[in-house]
Amino acid sequence: MLKKQITTGRYKRLFQRLIIYICLAILVVIFIFPFYWLLICAFKTKEQIFTIPPQFLPHPWHLGNFIRVFKETNIIRCFFNSTILAVGYCTLALFLCSLGGYAFAKYTRAPGHSKLFIFVLGTMMIPGAVTLIPVFIVLCKLHMVNTYWAIIIPGAANAFGIFWMRQYIGSNLHSDLIDAARLDGCSEFGVYWRIALPIARPALAALGILFLIGIWNNLMWAFIVLRTEDMYTLPLMIYLLNGELRTPYELIMASGLVATLPLVIAFLLFQKHFIQGIMAGSIKA
Amino acid sequence: MKIRTDKKNNAAAIHSCGVVVAAIGLILCANGLAADELFKMPADKSPQEIQGKIDVWAWNIAAGSLQKLLPLFNEKYPNIKVNISKTGWQVQSRLLLSLSARVGAPDITQLLVTETQRYTSTGRLMDLTTVAGQYEKDFVPSNWQNCLHNGKVCAIPWDFGPCAIFYKRHIFNRYDIDPNKIETWDDYIKAGKDIFEKSNGKTKMFHLPTGMLYEMFLIVLQQNGGQIFNEQGRVAVNSAISLKVMDLLKRMLESGVTVNDPLYTHAHYASLRGDTVATYPMGAWWGGTTKDYAPETAGDWGVFRLPAMEPGGLRASSSGGSVLVIPDQCKQKEATWAFVEFALCNTKAQIEHYKNFDLFPAWLPAYQDPFFDEPDPFFGGQKVRRLFAQDIEKIPPLYRTKDWPEAQAYLAQSLTGWSSRGMVQPEKMLAELEKKLCRRLNREIAPSSLKFARGD
Amino acid sequence: MIAAGKRSLLSKIWQYRHFYLFISPFFILFAVFGFYPLVFSLYLSFVEWDGLGERKWVGLSNFINMFYDDIFFRSLWNTIVIGIMHIPPMFIGAFLFALILNASWLKFRGLFRAAFFLPCVTPMVVIAIVFGLLYGQDTGFLNYLIAKVGALFPWLHLKPVGWLVSEQWSKPSIAVLLVWRWTGYNMVLMLAGLQGISQEYYEAAKIDGANTFQQMWYITLPLMRPIFVFCGIMSLIGTVFMFDEVFVLTAGGPGISSTNFGLYLFNTSFNDFRFGRASAMAYTVALIVLIFSLVILKFRKSPTE
Repeated sequence: MLKKQITTGRYKRLFQRLIIYICLAILVVIFIFPFYWLLICAFKTKEQIFTIPPQFLPHPWHLGNFIRVFKETNIIRCFFNSTILAVGYCTLALFLCSLGGYAFAKYTRAPGHSKLFIFVLGTMMIPGAVTLIPVFIVLCKLHMVNTYWAIIIPGAANAFGIFWMRQYIGSNLHSDLIDAARLDGCSEFGVYWRIALPIARPALAALGILFLIGIWNNLMWAFIVLRTEDMYTLPLMIYLLNGELRTPYELIMASGLVATLPLVIAFLLFQKHFIQGIMAGSIKA
Repeated sequence: MKIRTDKKNNAAAIHSCGVVVAAIGLILCANGLAADELFKMPADKSPQEIQGKIDVWAWNIAAGSLQKLLPLFNEKYPNIKVNISKTGWQVQSRLLLSLSARVGAPDITQLLVTETQRYTSTGRLMDLTTVAGQYEKDFVPSNWQNCLHNGKVCAIPWDFGPCAIFYKRHIFNRYDIDPNKIETWDDYIKAGKDIFEKSNGKTKMFHLPTGMLYEMFLIVLQQNGGQIFNEQGRVAVNSAISLKVMDLLKRMLESGVTVNDPLYTHAHYASLRGDTVATYPMGAWWGGTTKDYAPETAGDWGVFRLPAMEPGGLRASSSGGSVLVIPDQCKQKEATWAFVEFALCNTKAQIEHYKNFDLFPAWLPAYQDPFFDEPDPFFGGQKVRRLFAQDIEKIPPLYRTKDWPEAQAYLAQSLTGWSSRGMVQPEKMLAELEKKLCRRLNREIAPSSLKFARGD
Repeated sequence: MIAAGKRSLLSKIWQYRHFYLFISPFFILFAVFGFYPLVFSLYLSFVEWDGLGERKWVGLSNFINMFYDDIFFRSLWNTIVIGIMHIPPMFIGAFLFALILNASWLKFRGLFRAAFFLPCVTPMVVIAIVFGLLYGQDTGFLNYLIAKVGALFPWLHLKPVGWLVSEQWSKPSIAVLLVWRWTGYNMVLMLAGLQGISQEYYEAAKIDGANTFQQMWYITLPLMRPIFVFCGIMSLIGTVFMFDEVFVLTAGGPGISSTNFGLYLFNTSFNDFRFGRASAMAYTVALIVLIFSLVILKFRKSPTE
């Protein structure tokens, strides 16, 4: 009797779970669908993209788009620009944020420490929309428009990153270790460089990933400050292809795939770090 | 210390907030004004001696036309390399940013004549007065007017859009309509009604989408000397002429012979074939569009002159057209001007543009060319070019100002709203539009406004 | 005495010079790209300027004119409508996903998580253009699907939808894109919140005989409140200042039916080059958003604290 109840209960639960799995599977299909569409459209001719009924697998598969993209657009240069910006920005921002975060975490007795820290946090409340125009003007005056610096510099030392690194270093780096290093004759910068940085590696990775997503996908700022074709990033190049009189969708899809793949692959490889990074950031923020 | 609050002091006070900021402020002020030097072509250089590599932005058809001109150009200037890129509107919209950042603009770019003053007013285009001033007499006056900024020549007109009515001959023949008898807009509407009735409601006269009434409004407004802004840049839309134009629009819409499809869409172009629409009141460039979209209709087309408001009134107006400008960040000014001059201030080149791509020249000497008296087989052998050129210098200029794109958007909104409210109280719409233009564009009302006439 | 105090403060500052040195990059960059722009933007909101010519002091007229600007109000209205359309489904979806992904019995967790999160790492430009294709009026996949379903169930009277070409549908189209794009992000945040709830609460509740629903109502939801508040503020700011999505998908059209505040601000700044008007709008709306955020923050404290 009791046993029977348990089995029906188990069946009921199994059934529930089956339904949940089915729903999840459907949702996964919906969420993946645009990527799938991007992928197949990159291998279609323009006519194939617009046929009714749509071709769910291009037949025939058409590689010409990629050849045309490499021939007709500046994609290699744009890819190079995007990479330079991503690497440059992430490196600089991680360095400055971790340096600042380390300082805020470990020099707690410096005069004005807490006030300065509150100030740093306060700057997070300023929406970028308010400062957009003046930043553009400042960059004009500094002759930075249409250079990599215009993208790299303005956001390089951001409050969020400093906060993030402070939280991590504060709870994972013991002051004893620092004192020991100092006794060994390590300079202040040396302590940061040789001791704090290696310990903070997981936090750096997570933060770096967040920075990477932001900088790789950025459109608005690139649109404003990058002026000549040899400076375009991938998103900007794709956006401007879209503005042509007769939109070359087949080229956009092919170059879109090129722009999307690096981060998707990186994401699939380092999924855990990605997600943990976001989670760690959110709890504290 | 005296307290003064003029704008410079305010600015200065704010600049000096904080030590660091002040320091930055100094850097910012230091890189100031570049001296304005007037550009002159060196008289002692032969065309072969001018060298350079220049970038040109132009849109679709125009880019094709310039490309075709290159061999001719390089015969004369063998050492100037020209790279022409086709640009879509999004690239164009980036031009202002490039001008303001002083980096990233091409050496030459094409602009819509309606938007030219938006760009010339930036002061970041090359002042061409010394080299181009001599050509003033050679361009359509109303077009030339739009190329000036504070009396300086900052743009060179390219194509011009003299308006006329394109009609399908087979429809006019079938229903026995004589295009030569259509002299006024009311004749035009009446002919439309005839066609509509005789075709049992199958054939309508022309497109007049309620969402784009402003196009027709501006054509008729300019034809009759009306203005949105007066010469001083004050808001002059609230006028008796505007009221008259709106009354005409109302009669057109109420006649039931108009098509409500938006212009420049697939539906609009598709109607070029078949019998649903009989006529197209458009600028001369529409001929090129027709040849492009409906080549099989060759020979069926005819053109008659724009109807007048009253019998004996002016039968010309304009719509569309473009100019070329040289941003002042251009490094090779001699080579660049050589190209612009060759492409525009030159009858042979202008005739080429017209012949190959239906870009009607704003260059008056071109009208003396025998090409203008040749019959055009696409238009059933009619001498349409001469027809377009007729009275072209009599077209009153439309003072556009730098705010034209915005003003046009407000005009469009107002007219659409007016038509959706049943086309009542045009006076009220004009008064509201006037108020809005003043407020939004920080402009004063012109003394000619009906507001003052009525004394309120 | 005072001098001595001063000296000791100075010497203390000198002692901690590395601290100031290490944080100085932030403050220098902030001064140039944060503080100065903030002040300059405030100044700009009182002038008329196109970034090129003379600046003209106009006092409060930028702010006053804002109240006569119907496009401004339309853009705010559109922002609110788009927000209402996408935030609730996104939140519910994200929370449900997070609950399911947090369940101990779930297999293929990594796969599901990856699939839902993937939209966040892709360039918006590309995705918006792909959505543009899917939304196509005559040749888009969605209308094809609608036609198929309509043929199967004629009594539904399904008609093809003018996703991006009709004024009624442009906002829902954007909302769908937003749900697709941001659900995974919120899911991850909520998942983090769920994992932060100590199991002890649930065990205690089970002992008291609380059912699943009661556990949810009395434990999970209250304890998740800080996360909800955080997600709420992020979504609020994101919706108001959203740019890429609208810019690429509809460019604010047809008409101005999908122009949100972020796009209108951008257009006023970098299409019309009305820097004064744009700064005034940016300041005003930023203040409104700030006030709303503070109101939402009031709900932040979870009952256990």
